[in-house]
Amino acid sequence: MRKYVLALNLLMIFMLSAIAVAGEPTTAVEASVNQVLDVLKDPKLKGEEAKSVKTEKLRVIYKGMFDEMEFSRRTLTRNWKNFTPAERREFVELFEQVLEKSYLDKILDYSDEKIVFHKESMIAKDKAEVQSKIVTSSKEIPIDYRLILKDGKWKVYDVVVENVSLVQNYRTQFNEILADGTPEQLLKILRKKVKEQ
Amino acid sequence: MKHSLCLVAIFAWLALFCAPASGAVSGDGKTAYAANTAAEPAMAQMPDPTDESAYDDDDDYDYDDEPFGEERVTISDPLEPVNRIAHVFNDRMYFWVLKPAAVVYKAVAPEPVRISVKNLHSHLGYPARFLSCLLQTDFTGAAEETGRFVINTLWGIGGLMDPAAGENINLEKQDTDLGETLGVYGVGHGFYIVWPVFGPSSPRDSASFIDEYLLYPPFYIRPWYASTALTALEYVNSASLRIGEYESLVGAAIDPYVAMRNAYVQYRMKSVQARQARSLLFKEETAGPPEVKEAEDEN
Repeated sequence: MRKYVLALNLLMIFMLSAIAVAGEPTTAVEASVNQVLDVLKDPKLKGEEAKSVKTEKLRVIYKGMFDEMEFSRRTLTRNWKNFTPAERREFVELFEQVLEKSYLDKILDYSDEKIVFHKESMIAKDKAEVQSKIVTSSKEIPIDYRLILKDGKWKVYDVVVENVSLVQNYRTQFNEILADGTPEQLLKILRKKVKEQ
Repeated sequence: MKHSLCLVAIFAWLALFCAPASGAVSGDGKTAYAANTAAEPAMAQMPDPTDESAYDDDDDYDYDDEPFGEERVTISDPLEPVNRIAHVFNDRMYFWVLKPAAVVYKAVAPEPVRISVKNLHSHLGYPARFLSCLLQTDFTGAAEETGRFVINTLWGIGGLMDPAAGENINLEKQDTDLGETLGVYGVGHGFYIVWPVFGPSSPRDSASFIDEYLLYPPFYIRPWYASTALTALEYVNSASLRIGEYESLVGAAIDPYVAMRNAYVQYRMKSVQARQARSLLFKEETAGPPEVKEAEDEN
């Protein structure tokens, strides 16, 4: 009986730790990236006419992968509190559209490049960085994902491409505009940008 | 016996209690992944976008305490009006001259040829990289560069191929220059400069012109127009391998000038930090990158 109990306890400890390992940030990013690749490689979704289907599927994946709220707030930092709730809502929406339109074509251009996840570092209890690289015939592009743990899910809040953090890059741009402009002016610029794209 | 039963009970309770939370963690990857073939179930898992409370939240976040906060880095830009003109000039040059040339060249020259041209260009940059490695007291890097030069000269058809970087030998190129070398010694950027044709730079990073010209053997080819033509070819060749990169940077930017400037500063800071981590003299001090000192408050 005692042996049996011990075995059961061990089994439980093992099970708990197995769950913890499965929740690692790398697993979360890699799963999302693999989903994206599955959509991109799907033979049923070739050609121009399938583009909108693909886009729709990709949107579902990255909505689950990214924390757009965290992303937006981090680009605005202290300026966030100068925005009214309605302005914030519009900002998050517009910013998301700008990003989607800018990077979607890039992603749809994908043609069999290899993606390697090679490092994960826990920065804090609820923050991690997952490093990956895209390997093409002529170059390697390092892409790091920064993740935050929210409600038991690891979500991406910043992407660092070739050592350039997107959050920081947009933060500088927004700061420059908001230094002597109003939130409304920034929204106006974003609206125009979305329309042009 | 009672004791063990108690333990079992506690573990069972723990397992039950933790299951929903940790299940969600693994589910993030696994269930969503399984659901991806049919997008609809995944849709149900999406976070509710109409979570009003998040938008009402007035907390004064400035994220200065964040773990990556030390990277907040800027550069002073007293020449901004002139730089912006140079930026527009370079932008036009890219879209009107360089890109069309690269597109034609790409159509004529197959990719392996273009990669060979790139390899040769990089091979001949060995003296400059070797010198920078030495000055940075990165002797391992200097030795690796020399090893690469010998291997690629002998087995890489004079540098057209790069067997040294292959999996068997695995000697990576030490991508460095004199601007980074000054950075390793703590010299700051000074201010931002956009050179016509050459692009983003700073007084410190302009030292890299020495690498690209004085320390680059083909620069000494005579007559002068032969070496100029060679430089132009290298420009077009490297552009042909990177078509689309500049476009996507500019396309995603709200203010392309500011986006470029920030990307440049971030990129160079990371490179200097990486070089310092390799330097015998500065290995210990890598915690404080020199650029942070000149950072001005962005807010």
